[in-house]
Amino acid sequence: MTAPRSFWILLIALWIGLLAWGTEAWAETVYVQAKTAQLRAGKTSLDAVVGNVKFGDALEVVGRDGRWVEVKTSAGARGWIFANKTSTSKPSVGNDTLARLGQSMRGGDASTTTASAGARGLDKASEGYANRAGVSARDREVVDRMTAYQISDQDVEEFMREGGLGEYAK
Amino acid sequence: MASLMALSMTVAGCAEVQRAAEDVARQSGNPRLAGAIHGAGNVVGSLFPIGYEEESSIGQAIALQVVARYGGVVDQPELVRYVNLVGRAVANTSDRPDIPYRVAILDHESINAFAAPAGYIFVTRGLLRQIKNEAELAAVLGHEIAHVSEKHILDVIQRSKRLAGVTEAGLSYATNNPAAFKGVIDGAVKKLLDEGLDQEKETDADTVGEVFAARVGYDAEAYVGLLTRLRDLKGDDRALFKTHPNFSARIEAVQKTIRTKHLASNGLVLQERFSRMTKRV
Repeated sequence: MTAPRSFWILLIALWIGLLAWGTEAWAETVYVQAKTAQLRAGKTSLDAVVGNVKFGDALEVVGRDGRWVEVKTSAGARGWIFANKTSTSKPSVGNDTLARLGQSMRGGDASTTTASAGARGLDKASEGYANRAGVSARDREVVDRMTAYQISDQDVEEFMREGGLGEYAK
Repeated sequence: MASLMALSMTVAGCAEVQRAAEDVARQSGNPRLAGAIHGAGNVVGSLFPIGYEEESSIGQAIALQVVARYGGVVDQPELVRYVNLVGRAVANTSDRPDIPYRVAILDHESINAFAAPAGYIFVTRGLLRQIKNEAELAAVLGHEIAHVSEKHILDVIQRSKRLAGVTEAGLSYATNNPAAFKGVIDGAVKKLLDEGLDQEKETDADTVGEVFAARVGYDAEAYVGLLTRLRDLKGDDRALFKTHPNFSARIEAVQKTIRTKHLASNGLVLQERFSRMTKRV
């Protein structure tokens, strides 16, 4: 006595479905724990860059090898990322909703300004503080310049490459 | 996503409802009720965390006092750029890499380092002279970046404001009540520069900062080396960092972190680059 053909088709379909569900359910997710990071074609800093990701992006882990993790982005891009630029816990990104709610209720504008926009020069509040506290023009100039001071991400990468730091370790 | 949208709408909605209620109370000839509604909003608002925009105002105001108290900064562009590059390398893989960090060198012979909210970091010329390699500098900057990423100073400010009954902060606060804003900033500066943060926060910054520096590949033992030299120089009884726990306790905590987090003690030290870049300190 043999089972009808439809039974076997149903069983195979169920097995494929379970396999697909299992792969999805067990896929490990890591998050980008760096301001920016590059996905590379291989697991060295000499391999070609195949994509860029930013702080907080979720990545599906495909494999691991030493200090590198092979990942897939939500857009489907696949590549290797330096393991120290990832975290298994989801980081808190920018002004969180609670902070904006608090600022709104305290009477300030719940601005959409994010930290990454960067400030330039003293703002009105600190300028007002400087006036009341009698801070000298020289010291204001120092903090003003400090606030506006910028180094590009590219310069930081070059500095790390020169020193063999991070993913540029020899 | 739907819950986020709903929460975002609530953010805007609460403020609008509060303002509308204030207007109705005022128009109906009840300014006391309008004031009470406004005050209630402030009280509730003070229970929420401080956002980056407000943090930036607070950080700048504290930075102004740090610079004023320490007599200005070192004006050597190459050296300042180098210290900032080390700081950025560490900050970029810290737990809070999405804000700008800037490092200034205070032109002062004392041995200390400070961090104000929103990424304003200071090291003294005296401390820089005690540091022997880039890994030690990275660990010091890691400690200060940890104060910022863990929001230690903001925590102190939130608590002191609640105790003082101040319910506003940041831009609106400074505009509405500049005298109270000055009081809060002056209190934070006193805590930061004179009294010191809680020892628990300093230990936390040591251990978290050590992890930040190690993530970039710096030798985890380097910080132990620096702390040991400073202890030998000044001893535990007269802790060199008057605002920090004694050196022996700090060394022990850092060593424990290296063991438990399995941090590499064969990382990079980069002594040659450090010596080349800091020869004019």
